[in-house]
Amino acid sequence: MNPSTAISGHSTNGAYFFRIYVAGGAPNSVRALANLDSLCRKHFPESHRIEVIDVLLEPMRALGDAVLVTPTVVKVSPAPEQEIIGNLSDEGEVLRALGLPAKENP
Amino acid sequence: MNHKKSEGALEKIASGIEGFDDITGGGLPRDGTTILIGGPGCGKTVLALQMLVHNAVQDDVPGMFVAFEEDTKRLIANTESFGWKLRELAKKRLFFLSARISPETVIAGSFDLTALLASLEAKALEMGAKLVVFDALDVLLTLLDDPAAERRELYRIQHWLSRTGLTGILTAKVEECTSARLLRYGFMPFMADCVVLLRQRVLERVAVREMRVLKYRGSRHALNEVPFVITDSGIEVGASNGVHPEPQPFKERISTGIARLDEMLHGGIYRGTNALITGSAGTGKSTLSGLFVEAACQRGERALFVSFDENSCDIVRDLASVGVQLTPHLKSGLLRMEAIRTESAGAEDHLVRIKHLIRGFQPACVAVDPFSALVKVGGELAARNVAERLIYLCRNQRITLLLTSLLEGKDPALETTPLHVSTLADTWMQISYSLNGGERNRALTIIKSRGSKHSNQMRELIFSDTGITLADPYTAGGEVLMGTLRIEKENRVAADRERQRHELEQKDREIELLHLEGDLRVEAARRDLQTRREELERLTVASKAQPDGKALREDEVVRRRDKKLVSEQTLRGKTNGGHPRSRAKVRSKK
Repeated sequence: MNPSTAISGHSTNGAYFFRIYVAGGAPNSVRALANLDSLCRKHFPESHRIEVIDVLLEPMRALGDAVLVTPTVVKVSPAPEQEIIGNLSDEGEVLRALGLPAKENP
Repeated sequence: MNHKKSEGALEKIASGIEGFDDITGGGLPRDGTTILIGGPGCGKTVLALQMLVHNAVQDDVPGMFVAFEEDTKRLIANTESFGWKLRELAKKRLFFLSARISPETVIAGSFDLTALLASLEAKALEMGAKLVVFDALDVLLTLLDDPAAERRELYRIQHWLSRTGLTGILTAKVEECTSARLLRYGFMPFMADCVVLLRQRVLERVAVREMRVLKYRGSRHALNEVPFVITDSGIEVGASNGVHPEPQPFKERISTGIARLDEMLHGGIYRGTNALITGSAGTGKSTLSGLFVEAACQRGERALFVSFDENSCDIVRDLASVGVQLTPHLKSGLLRMEAIRTESAGAEDHLVRIKHLIRGFQPACVAVDPFSALVKVGGELAARNVAERLIYLCRNQRITLLLTSLLEGKDPALETTPLHVSTLADTWMQISYSLNGGERNRALTIIKSRGSKHSNQMRELIFSDTGITLADPYTAGGEVLMGTLRIEKENRVAADRERQRHELEQKDREIELLHLEGDLRVEAARRDLQTRREELERLTVASKAQPDGKALREDEVVRRRDKKLVSEQTLRGKTNGGHPRSRAKVRSKK
């Protein structure tokens, strides 16, 4: 498990890069961020990166990235790209979406 | 359907769709929500898009279209046929956003539309948009799978619209407008400011589209369902604005095509009015229509002849057989003939087609034969509504309109049309069959003629290869004679006249003879008189010359006799007493 700072489509070392689009301090967004954070810490403690984009502050960014709802989480890497919408309250669903079994896995 | 334009508090944005602004009393609620609900394929997207386009093109108001279901590129391509030039508009005036959630996306928990609204707001600010369409919003909302959440999002949109001052149009699909289905999105109508229900159904095998303003907060609106059609240039809603147009004052009269008929109408029918000809099959309604348009073309005016279920060539040929020549006018472009198959579309579609023809060709006279065909596609109510609107349209544009209506057998004597438009007609003429003397002849009657007196005499309509005319009525025993009987009567009358003429001549001659005779007699009498006068004169003259002529002689005779006697006596006395005889002898010798 090598730490990596690279942000690219192909991450050779399997680091997870997430982008989360939030709507300021909206309840769902706050929940989502918290859930994502906790999930990452749990499953890939050293090799994850979360970029937070506030659509209220950067609306054109949301438009450009085709983000319609909040919260939206995009797993940028490792490939394939995966979009998850919702406050991530259902952890099992999230893990499935990420292609991870419901247990620790590098 | 009486309503005024929006008054006071509620401001409206005109949709630009003919008829829609009428039923909503001015258009959509400004910075409010309008929901268009309807089943699949009933035209919600087209309607919403058309409003956007109109505002962008006519009023230079930029707008945004958020497509939750359709691919925007496909949408632009599909609506290309309307001629809206969406591609051009999409560059500056209109913003199209594809808002489809990919099927790959995983839903893990509750979400909201904040991102979308935030970006739209920014975009609206950037381009100055005032209108935004959320098309097929239900597609997104169903993903929430939670009615409470759906409701919340709708509120969010409403508040957002209000805050940003944008006018929102939402479209949502409902399978069938039954209460069960509507319950799912039942809250939507309660929340929106204006709700319009669109419906497509099949009526007697004809597809009919209708829309109804279910609700309009703070504004009066039309309550009834109105028909609409999707033409090749967009949606047209078939609502008249409920106000009867000001009738233009009657002035000029134009010919019907039959001189005698014009006479009966005191010159013809008034320009800009409408005439209705009713009759059963074969009575000659199409012929009269042809004459009407021919007369118009002969005056140098453009005429439009719309026929239902008849081939234009056949019509031209049939008319030529009675001396009506339409071909030269077709060639010159003054006459436009449009043959429509009734079954091809609904009554509303046909009206739109006719309206477009009128708009493009700008005729002065229009004939529709038989208008009653529209009853077959859409029912009597729809057909009557269509008839009304066509009449109003033509009246407004001072187009003289001729409608023919087929009376279906039942009882022509009842003289009611299946459309009941006779009350709207300015002039109403009926052609009926008259059976007498073993013949079936055509009889024309003017039932009604607004604005002028008319004869209520039934006249025979005669078709010949040199033309069509109306015969003088021959009444006998209270009935009008037609056909052979009429000819017979005509002959009799002619013979009578001839006889009278002869008699008169005869009398003349007699009188002349009498005169001559008289003259002669007078002459003879005169001559007689003359002769007698002459005689009298002669006698008078004669008696004057010898006043006592006769008496004189007698006296003389007596005297001479006396003298002779004396002388004889003397002689005898001398001789021997003398013989008177001898004296007499002597005297006679003298």
